[in-house]
Amino acid sequence: MGVTCVCQVPVSEGKSVQQTVDILHKKLEQLGAVKQGNFWVDCETYHATGNATGQPSKLLYVMHNSETPLSCMALFEGGPGLSADANFDVLMVKLKSHFQNAKGHKVESRGVRYRYCDFLVKIGTVAMSSSARGISVEVEYCACVIPGDCWNLMKEFMQSFLGSNTPELPTVFTSKAEGLSVPVDCMDTMSQYLELFGRVRKQQVLPGSGVR
Amino acid sequence: MADVMNVGVNLEAFSLAINAIQALRSSVTRVFDSLKDGMKNKETLEGREKVFITEFQDNLQSVNRDLNELERLSTLVGRPSESHPLHNSGLLSLDPVQDKTPLYSQLLQAYKWSNKLQYHAGLASSLLNQQSLKRSANQMGTSAKRRPKVQPSTLVLPIQYVDDVISRIGRMFPDMSIELFRPNGTSAVLLVTLGKVLKAIVVMRSLFIDRTIVRGFHENIYSEDGKLDIWSKSNYQAFQKVTDHATTALLHYQLPQMPDVVVRSFMTWLRSYIKLFQNPCQRCGKFLQEGLPPTWRDFRTLEAFHDTCRQ
Amino acid sequence: MEAPPVSVMPVTGGAINMMEYLLQGSVLDQSLESLLHRLRGLCDNMEPESFADHELVYLLKGQQGNPFLLRARRSLLHPPAPWHLRYLGQPEVGDKSRLALVRNCVDVSASHGLPEVLNEMGFRMDHEFVAKGQLFRKGGMKVVVSKLSRVLVPGNTENTEPLSLSYLVELSVLAPAGQDTVSEDMRSFAEQLKPLVHLEKIDPKRLM
Repeated sequence: MGVTCVCQVPVSEGKSVQQTVDILHKKLEQLGAVKQGNFWVDCETYHATGNATGQPSKLLYVMHNSETPLSCMALFEGGPGLSADANFDVLMVKLKSHFQNAKGHKVESRGVRYRYCDFLVKIGTVAMSSSARGISVEVEYCACVIPGDCWNLMKEFMQSFLGSNTPELPTVFTSKAEGLSVPVDCMDTMSQYLELFGRVRKQQVLPGSGVR
Repeated sequence: MADVMNVGVNLEAFSLAINAIQALRSSVTRVFDSLKDGMKNKETLEGREKVFITEFQDNLQSVNRDLNELERLSTLVGRPSESHPLHNSGLLSLDPVQDKTPLYSQLLQAYKWSNKLQYHAGLASSLLNQQSLKRSANQMGTSAKRRPKVQPSTLVLPIQYVDDVISRIGRMFPDMSIELFRPNGTSAVLLVTLGKVLKAIVVMRSLFIDRTIVRGFHENIYSEDGKLDIWSKSNYQAFQKVTDHATTALLHYQLPQMPDVVVRSFMTWLRSYIKLFQNPCQRCGKFLQEGLPPTWRDFRTLEAFHDTCRQ
Repeated sequence: MEAPPVSVMPVTGGAINMMEYLLQGSVLDQSLESLLHRLRGLCDNMEPESFADHELVYLLKGQQGNPFLLRARRSLLHPPAPWHLRYLGQPEVGDKSRLALVRNCVDVSASHGLPEVLNEMGFRMDHEFVAKGQLFRKGGMKVVVSKLSRVLVPGNTENTEPLSLSYLVELSVLAPAGQDTVSEDMRSFAEQLKPLVHLEKIDPKRLM
């Protein structure tokens, strides 16, 4: 569990999602990275039914990550979150009458996992209702747990294969009250994925058609 | 440097005591023989009984006399000297087959030789130190106090002294904490936590550093049975490299007469890793080389270099 | 750092349905020692575990039906340990001769953000209490002897006052649905604890 950075890579001009993903794979393999299995991250949306006050109910997101297959993370956008064991899904089924699962809103990212020295790079195709909507790239530097310490190092690494698409320091870390020298935990990674999935959902237009 | 076993045994009393044991044995045998033989043939029953009883009493009294004699002699015999030069291995000398397995005499020879070697090496090092071959007169870290000559045998130091030295070094730097454990006998095992970057386990032998292993801050330092794991390597290549460099540092910082100066120098060097992920390499200016941060720290200047960038 | 095994679909609901079989009783403070003594003899040979837990009961009021009840428990003796969240369903309305109270049970371990998330979800804390006592085990059966205390100032677990002059004794088993021999075993174990304590099936509806 090291410092992670999740970013979205726009689809290259005139190419499809799959082709852009293949280009990224090639760049990584040229650097010397080694394929190490697959990964998936998914996110289900629940909204409260029967809200008495009439305000729009908050959305509860329940996420799973293949890095921690026995856990399940529940979080609110910009709000509190928790990690629990797999029985939390069973509990959500029991809560069916109070929380409805918006099945059409399920977003997931699946792809290949690469290992380069102490880095883990996961390049995934973000899909909603089985249509590819974008590309997510997660870079994890496993040796360090303090984001403030190793951000420059990670940026240098990301520039070597993402070029101009390299992101800035994720807001998850900058918005923490205690600052950048607090050790990371799995909720930081999932918050970043949640932000990315949120952006992908809002994107009405499928990438590749070139119209925004 | 004589290693002759001091014979505190009074040999004459020893031989007299052995004779006394033989006398005691024979008088006890006489008692049981007379009991076995029973009463001798005499005219009257009282006569027979009387003779038997007097004979029995005489025998018992002789046993009593012999026992007292033996006790008196045993106090005179004395005890062999407590200070075996080789402690339990002195018991090897009890092996009677001397020519087939001359273990004990060879052991004594080897021990005498190594003691002489240590003595001569100490003399030589004090002479050589007067002619310093290094360019800088000071050792690494000006905090190293010049101590007067420490006790000649720095291999056997009292535990309390080692504890004191380590706790003083632990207070030197605020971002480095040192915990001392003794899981296996008298050798100390230190757990050095450097900020939130790394944890190093340093195995000592009295005040000399034997080996060290460096792992990441979030890695598990305990083995399955709850004890400190001093063998498994780190999971990350960066820390595996740092462990190799630390082992090189142990070989570099050497000073047999002043082991506490060595420990201080090593800790000062280790502390420079607090910015392992933050400092770029001084030579190439980049953070990463083949995926590794600059893991080498120069022994004199403590500057960061990549392993492949150092001169 | 090998890749963990990847399953095709994430775990969804409808997994193993666990049922909780429960028998309850109580014993006055004076008789506690003799009960503990007997339990130590009857149960598995290990030191009984002492615990001190802070339990919060959360309710979610829906538009129709009964409010949804969740119990969140954390240990006061081991603060870094995860929270334990428990949902207990309605007692099974089987034949009256069922010897123990049978309810559907879902147990979830959760990290320390649990109370905030429950509040965001709409749950409101109904009441809280502190339970201190000992835990015994015999095979799959669990016997919990605990003293319940009321929390006087919300959130402050130091200031408590005992609810009653007795200890609550609970005998419970967690088993998959459909095993009927479990209640037989529980009943025979409960027989051994008479006359110190009478463990019986207490219908929660009768208490409402």
